[in-house]
Amino acid sequence: MKTTNLTTLVSLAVMIAGIARVVAAEPVMRDVATHDQLVVTLRKVEQADPMKQLAAAKGGAAAVVKSEDPSVVNKPKSLLGESDIISFDGLATLVPKRAIMQIPVGYADRIKIEPGVKIVGWADFYAFNRGWITTVEISRVQAEGMQPLADDTKKQMTKCRNLVVATYQGGPISMLPPKPTTEPTTKQP
Amino acid sequence: MKPFIIQIVGVICAIQVVCADTPTYTNFIRQYQTPSNVVWDCSDAVAVSGSQLSTLAINPGGARFDLWTIKSTPLTEYLLNTSYVGAYVPLAEVHIRSEDPYATICRTRADRPFYVDITVSGLLSGAADPTASKSVTLFHYVQSYGVGGTGVGLDRTQATLLTPQVSMVTNGLQTLSYALNVVPGADRTKIRGEERFSVFTVADVRPPTYNIPATQLSSQYIQIWPLADGSIAGITQNQYIRFQLPQVTFTYNDLYPNSTTYAQVYKGDPQLGKTGTVVPGSLRVMNDSTPQSIVLPVTAYDSAFDSDGRWTMEVVTVTPFGIDRLAYVSFDLDRTMKVNGSFTTTE
Repeated sequence: MKTTNLTTLVSLAVMIAGIARVVAAEPVMRDVATHDQLVVTLRKVEQADPMKQLAAAKGGAAAVVKSEDPSVVNKPKSLLGESDIISFDGLATLVPKRAIMQIPVGYADRIKIEPGVKIVGWADFYAFNRGWITTVEISRVQAEGMQPLADDTKKQMTKCRNLVVATYQGGPISMLPPKPTTEPTTKQP
Repeated sequence: MKPFIIQIVGVICAIQVVCADTPTYTNFIRQYQTPSNVVWDCSDAVAVSGSQLSTLAINPGGARFDLWTIKSTPLTEYLLNTSYVGAYVPLAEVHIRSEDPYATICRTRADRPFYVDITVSGLLSGAADPTASKSVTLFHYVQSYGVGGTGVGLDRTQATLLTPQVSMVTNGLQTLSYALNVVPGADRTKIRGEERFSVFTVADVRPPTYNIPATQLSSQYIQIWPLADGSIAGITQNQYIRFQLPQVTFTYNDLYPNSTTYAQVYKGDPQLGKTGTVVPGSLRVMNDSTPQSIVLPVTAYDSAFDSDGRWTMEVVTVTPFGIDRLAYVSFDLDRTMKVNGSFTTTE
């Protein structure tokens, strides 16, 4: 019994030593691969296309389909193209188009990119420019154009001489034009 | 109407732009509501990495989140990532693995394998469930950077979409194993380009007004860089060198962005795997984002040779993929000066 245990221990030690040698082995130097070698491998890769294998996998996890390229059809548009740029005093920021609700004549020349300005986030830009920018906090349904602004807000805007930006939770948000509401038809007696 | 809490994980990939000045980048996250088309700037302050909650509810429909960075001078925009979330839209994540541990951009070499892990969750299978909730589509793109290209300013809409595209209808992890890249190129050792794997939703069309096209859920690409090559000029094979070693010129082409390349000498004929003495002035350590080439003229390297006889000089590059011998030359060195003379004496 003792002999068996000893043999087992010795075998285990030899095995561990072997594994340790493999793990600790330094990478083997080889000659750099050639074009011909890679062509052979490429053929194998193309024949055993993993995408085809995935589609052919048992259990119906996937299937081959043919569709138009959505990355071209529905690609994200330009951030700069979909933003208004507000610049002043060496800083500039981007807000979504339709987020600027009111541009006084005196500030119209600030709605552009000035050469050499540093682009900053809205929060940083607004912190430096509260003197001439006012924000109007709106709701999601107001942003969607499903609900008009409150009368008080409209009155304040007419009196305000600042640039007015629509915000939601402090972040600039586009405010879509009011959607036409379906008026209840009233019949004349 | 329960507001959806969307967690945005923004990991800003460092843009590989070579610029003399230190450029200033500002990050933005835009939330595009569908189908209302409301756009919200939810980027209070987008750090290099982190997460934040979106408080803008996405009911009905969904919202696409675009992560951008803007360089101030010259004014340039970079779309770093985009992801779509919705009430019943499945979640998907694409993660590509290679042997290179570089964290900023996944990359590998033209002769090495890589692996694509695709995890899909939230797929529904009920008869009454919307079509867009029952499957997602996996797309595979390839795009070459061209000869000497680095991928800077790449127009990814020009990538080639490979067939087949695969519709995935089961939740869980699927791994695709690629022994080699399939980026087009005449010389397979000099491939420069990228492979991209993207998971898109299925178009969600419910007439007359609800029409959401297939939108990206997750996407990742892997850069493929060429194999290095090298040459030794100044010493020819089997040259017999007397007295002083000549100037040699080491040419290293397409050194892998994370590599150490050097010339070494050892006594005897070429022997793959043998460790020798590094030739002074031949060592180049690369820690870059794109491959580099260099020409190194080296003189006064006699100290690497401790005796006369048959020697081998070889160029070796060490990368995350192992050690590759790029070039070698063997020659005979004889620096011993023999003087034949005789002494005579006369009385």
